[in-house]
Amino acid sequence: MAVYRRGYQRYQGPLSSRGSRLLVLPKFAWERLMQTRLVVIIFVLAMFWPVACAVFVYLSNHTELLQGFGPQAAQLLKIDGNFFVVFMNTQSMFAIVLSAFAGPSLIAPDLANGALPLYFSRPLSRTEYILSRMLVLIGVLSPITWVPGVLLFLMQSSMAGGTWFSENWQLGVGIFFGFLLYILLVSLVAMASSAYVRWRIIAGALVLGVFFILAGAAELVNEVLRVEWASALNPVRAMNQIWRSMLGAEPIAGPEAYQCFIVILVMTGLLLAVLQRKLRPVEVVS
Amino acid sequence: MTPVIELKDLRVKLGRREILQGISCRLGVSGAGKAIGLLGPNGAGKSTLILSLLGFHKASGGSARILGLDCHAQAREVKARVGYMPENEAFIADMSAVRFLRIMGELSGLPPRVALERAHEVLFHVGLGEARYRPLGTYSLGMKQMAKLAQAIMHGPELVILDEPTNGLDPAARARMLKLVVEMKQEHGMSIVLCSHLLRDVEEVCDEVVILKDGRIAHHANLEEERRANRRFVELEVSGDDRNFAASLREHGIEGVSEGGGRWRIVLPPELELDVIWRLVGRENLEVNRLTHRRDTLEEIFLKAVGHIKRTAGEAAKPVEEVTADGRL
Repeated sequence: MAVYRRGYQRYQGPLSSRGSRLLVLPKFAWERLMQTRLVVIIFVLAMFWPVACAVFVYLSNHTELLQGFGPQAAQLLKIDGNFFVVFMNTQSMFAIVLSAFAGPSLIAPDLANGALPLYFSRPLSRTEYILSRMLVLIGVLSPITWVPGVLLFLMQSSMAGGTWFSENWQLGVGIFFGFLLYILLVSLVAMASSAYVRWRIIAGALVLGVFFILAGAAELVNEVLRVEWASALNPVRAMNQIWRSMLGAEPIAGPEAYQCFIVILVMTGLLLAVLQRKLRPVEVVS
Repeated sequence: MTPVIELKDLRVKLGRREILQGISCRLGVSGAGKAIGLLGPNGAGKSTLILSLLGFHKASGGSARILGLDCHAQAREVKARVGYMPENEAFIADMSAVRFLRIMGELSGLPPRVALERAHEVLFHVGLGEARYRPLGTYSLGMKQMAKLAQAIMHGPELVILDEPTNGLDPAARARMLKLVVEMKQEHGMSIVLCSHLLRDVEEVCDEVVILKDGRIAHHANLEEERRANRRFVELEVSGDDRNFAASLREHGIEGVSEGGGRWRIVLPPELELDVIWRLVGRENLEVNRLTHRRDTLEEIFLKAVGHIKRTAGEAAKPVEEVTADGRL
């Protein structure tokens, strides 16, 4: 029967599982994001470096192709923790830019249009809403962060052999968990900005500001006070130090990895507090 | 029988201010398809009560149950069985109505295919079928209200909470909205909670009414019973000799008060119809100059409940103890 002739009937059929409802918001958000040209462009650009790294890994395992460059060329192509740290640092920049464009469209429109009461009047808790929105960013950032990172690691393992894998398996674990921690931080920054500022463009600028202005501010404090601890306030640098520790690479000068980890945890807590405060179905003015 | 809403000494504080100050009542019967009107002046606590029922505000004391489920401890089960139409604009502006309803349906637990089908069905049902692919931001106010209603009934809830559903609607759209609400309860057996400032809307749709004032229940009435019990008030103006008219009225068990100059205030018992008055007027050879006949309105009940008037028109017509034998004051 044609839909306009059916008339309204109350639904009495089976309901979907609680877990699958968590994917409802991400499903529709991914669809919308993939219709945004700018997001797709950044997404594609972010794939170039992993491809370049894959070529690098291939060449490092086929040094005979570099004979024309002399014997030192093969020495430079060493796949170790430092290589993956460079890879992660590069991809982390794309992740920030991508989250600055994709993140604000997640929560800001819901707040601006008063949609939260509609969500929260359904069987969806605030935690589930945050988790759903975070899943959107996890889904968008994963293909440019840990997925290519782990693929590169597996590619190197398959080419270099079992001995290399058994000696360097912690690199794969470090890439995975290092990027997960980073995605958590970036997602929370994007969501908190989106929740704090209801205008998408300003929220996007705020995301970039958190990362780049904090970096500048941290350096300023270091210079003015002639200290090094302020580097931990630079989230990019703090993550870099944590990754270096996880991947067994040479640490950079400044606060140690565990100190950076504590700072990142505090930032995460603060961002969650912002979300907790801002994401309410109704605003209470007391 | 499970009440639709059961409140026991419900107290809700927002900041340091206690908005709901110990409300207790049992409203409606689950599955009976009745509508409950929620009335009260601004700041009476209507919205706070609705938001507390939805679990948005935590009770500082007492308890609230919907369809037998605790609103706080069983919030998820409650929300699965309730549809909510908020007062304020609530949608995603650049999203089409179909997409919006699909999301809302899937969040309520409808499988994706069912949600898509029902999104179309429900939009046709509320009269937005032709506009269902248009972004919600381009809708008129009336269409937005209908879209909000559509999302509230998308998953076929047992209870639908409507907060000011006719706000800003023109008369035609208002009539359509009220018709849909009546259909929801009569044809689909849904229980309705209707919160409105428009007493006529509540009177038209609701079977039961709760009037809140200063965070307490000022009046709780079954409108049907109230209407039946409500003594009907007739204002009559006649010319001619009306001295025996009071006695004639009394013969039929009708209370009447003469105000002089041929003006009478008469209270018609529920079992009698207006034609009795006409017959008595004819028997007394009186000429009717004016006759107004009406029941106590919800407005009068409301105004009395919130303390703006002391008595309703029907009640005002019955100072029987002050009436003399000949029916004069």
